[in-house]
Amino acid sequence: MAARCLFRSYSRVKNVDQNTRILVRCSRRMLCSVPSDSSSPDAHVKPQFMDAEVQDILTRIAGLDLEKVFRPIKQELKPPTYKLMTDAQLEEAIQSAREQAQRLLKMPPVLPERKPINDVLSEDKILEGMDTAKYVFTDITFNIPHRERFIVIREPTGTLRKASWEERDRILQVYFPKGARRLTAPPVFQEESLKVVFGQDRHEDVLDLCQVQFEPDSSEYIRVHAATYEDLEKMGKYDLLRSTRHFGGLVWYLVNARRVDGLIIDMLQEDLLQDAVSLVGLFNKVHPNSEIAQEASSQQASGLDLLKIYAKRESQRAGYIELALQAYEQTSAESSV
Amino acid sequence: MVHLSSFLLKTYHGGHIVIRLAMAGHKQSNRPFYRIVAAYNKRARDSKYIEQLGSYDPLPNIYNEKLVSINSDRIKYWMGCGAHPTKPVAKLLGLAGFFPLHPMTVTETERRRALAELAEEAAPEDGVKQQEL
Repeated sequence: MAARCLFRSYSRVKNVDQNTRILVRCSRRMLCSVPSDSSSPDAHVKPQFMDAEVQDILTRIAGLDLEKVFRPIKQELKPPTYKLMTDAQLEEAIQSAREQAQRLLKMPPVLPERKPINDVLSEDKILEGMDTAKYVFTDITFNIPHRERFIVIREPTGTLRKASWEERDRILQVYFPKGARRLTAPPVFQEESLKVVFGQDRHEDVLDLCQVQFEPDSSEYIRVHAATYEDLEKMGKYDLLRSTRHFGGLVWYLVNARRVDGLIIDMLQEDLLQDAVSLVGLFNKVHPNSEIAQEASSQQASGLDLLKIYAKRESQRAGYIELALQAYEQTSAESSV
Repeated sequence: MVHLSSFLLKTYHGGHIVIRLAMAGHKQSNRPFYRIVAAYNKRARDSKYIEQLGSYDPLPNIYNEKLVSINSDRIKYWMGCGAHPTKPVAKLLGLAGFFPLHPMTVTETERRRALAELAEEAAPEDGVKQQEL
């Protein structure tokens, strides 16, 4: 707001260009900054996706299945190489493979949706009818980050306005092309095509394509991801994403929507109790005002007790969770005895 | 005879530096595309330039946009070194907001509007005449 008032007063000055560019740049920076606090969550501050603790929990839940991460993908056919190694070298190789898998499994960021740009730099009525086409002016100076680049459009009515986010993405792709990104989005991302692809169990491919094509805070990205997560939750096919880098995003979405039931049951079926416990812990952190969190903090519960509290209070399918917990306790009692 | 031009151009250049539009792409195709370029004044329009500062595509694309790219940093540098922009470059930069508006842009717009009004007056008259016939 302050920037806009300043803008109006400065626009009367003759050297419009310099001042507006500096001011616009400042206001752009304010618009584009992403809130990232790495401090521990208190009662007032909601924990963000990028917090160290949250990331820790999510990486642990996501799992690290080397077989799945390094499964054969479509690449150029090369004859296989064979190496003769001692046991120690083999362990080293496995260790380095694990580290590379961890790097491959780095989670893409989850950002709030970007606000649309509606800035008009100048309205020149004298230029009306100058041309039937719009002029798009891009600043191709090398050392500016793409978010701060000036992309300005002069309409046939004479208004000089800033380009909207979709136009920006397209034009940045023209002048600074990025790998496999296409100028127009592939038709996979329409509703009907998404349904077909989900029927074929190819959620991972869709999410990878989405990652390449859209910016993380664009509305398209968020819509596609929401659709994928909804479908996964409806079908209960959490295992598809289990050892990929999209699992953290799925968990975060479900925790924010408070629909963690299906996921917990799936984990219990796979005997991943530690993961279920940490999931409930994460839920408590994100929703500190819910009943579960308050009970847990009052009783100082941990481990299986957390799951019992969750089963009592929040979940719809409480019976199943309690049964599973009882079965686990019995088996652990038998194995210890 | 021995071609002395290459020896001469290394030390002597006639004229000053200009920022102008040079046609890029192949002469055979019926598709213009301009590069915004800093070059010596006396050089041919499409021949060797000092630095490319941007591009201009005069034909609109499927979204009805004419794409212009401007390397503002380098243009400022060359203007500081004393380069002169030509009229079309000055008009483009004026439309962009980088320069103040060029007066000829306004004049051209007014002329176009006047022509359009004349065409509108002529067209209804033709329509009326055909109805009478």
